[in-house]
Amino acid sequence: MNTTIDTDLDGRAPLPAEGGPEALGCFLADFSSWLLGCGATCVRIDKNVGRIAMSYGYDADVAVMPRHVSVHLSGPGGYAKTFTRRMAGSGINFEINTDLSALSWTIRDCRLPLQEAEARFRSIVGRKYVDNFHILWLTALANASFCRLFGGDAAAMAAVFFATAAGYFFKQRCLRRRMDIRVVFFFCAFISASLASGCGLFGWGTTPGVAVATSVLYLIPGVPYINAASDMLARHYLCSFSRFVDAVVLTASLSLGMWASILLENVSF
Amino acid sequence: MGDSISWGAFFEDALFSAMAAIGFSSISHTPRRAYILCAVAAAAGHSLRFLLTLPGGVEMNIIVAATIAAFVVGTISVMLAKVIKVPAEACLFPALLPMIPGLYACRTFEGFVGCLSDLQEAAFEHNLYLFMSNGMTCVAIVIGMTVGANIPIFIMKKISFQVTR
Repeated sequence: MNTTIDTDLDGRAPLPAEGGPEALGCFLADFSSWLLGCGATCVRIDKNVGRIAMSYGYDADVAVMPRHVSVHLSGPGGYAKTFTRRMAGSGINFEINTDLSALSWTIRDCRLPLQEAEARFRSIVGRKYVDNFHILWLTALANASFCRLFGGDAAAMAAVFFATAAGYFFKQRCLRRRMDIRVVFFFCAFISASLASGCGLFGWGTTPGVAVATSVLYLIPGVPYINAASDMLARHYLCSFSRFVDAVVLTASLSLGMWASILLENVSF
Repeated sequence: MGDSISWGAFFEDALFSAMAAIGFSSISHTPRRAYILCAVAAAAGHSLRFLLTLPGGVEMNIIVAATIAAFVVGTISVMLAKVIKVPAEACLFPALLPMIPGLYACRTFEGFVGCLSDLQEAAFEHNLYLFMSNGMTCVAIVIGMTVGANIPIFIMKKISFQVTR
């Protein structure tokens, strides 16, 4: 894809790239890899990478593959080289997305030397994101709210709250041990649906079906679905398709987990 | 229309969609300063969709209603993202998540599993119908929502891509 650069340098000369174009190319490839991994759209990756390259007097073309990203750097003296990186496995993280976008503007506006830019980049992506307790209970609260939006009563909401908390706790522990995410989604859905089916088994409330159906919705990969459609609109079809397939596979995993629970407990849905 | 609306249900819808948006923001590691904006945008969008699809009211098709609601969410996100200096998507996506048709997605797989588990013609046709109708509705809603939400980003391109400056 050809990078569209929407900014200029306000008449200032570009910064010299310390370490030469090789260092700049490696930095841009790492930068793109993290932006892609944290869930940025292709348009944003294009713009941010193009902005940084232009600040140092180069042009960048970014090609986003399903699990890799390539940055083709071209510039003065006929220099042209392609740098490829594997997608960073950070998971969806809008804080990294925000900070990297802000860094691209800082490089342009404050004329950051490449070494300083690299140091700031490393400090942003080096932060530890521990899945702490507040995320756990906010997720459980969100899913209980979802249950209410679909017509669940107080008993169903309470069941969904605890089912989600248990499933999400399990997800945190498994992902920390780097288990395959599809297997994790299957078991999380199985646990959540099994716990939520307590409404039907013990006669709590009048909407046991809603409790079971909404207990797994916290696992629906909504951001990848929206990203896929956004990339499609921007004509990044390859990336759009790969994100869509990833999301469908995860949805299939959680659906199978939910149905395994329903079949095992013979709960009407 | 006013007589047929239960305003209690309307505000309840707004409240619970705002709470859902805050929860989904935390899963996606949205900057904490954006939580309130996500909640406001989600409440506006979801309650608008509630009004548009209400029986006895406008009774709009859910795909069209979701598209219009997503446009409103996108506009609010782009306008307010500038205030808190986060990319519009960081507010927009968590705010859209309460409208993601998760139940349709699960029921699509219910139909798929049903097709494979019961090959009797009548049951297979019923499950195939469930699979196709839910799947098509799910995909159409997601595409409609994304188109609606992206229109403000592309209309206000200068704001959208400069908010973190």
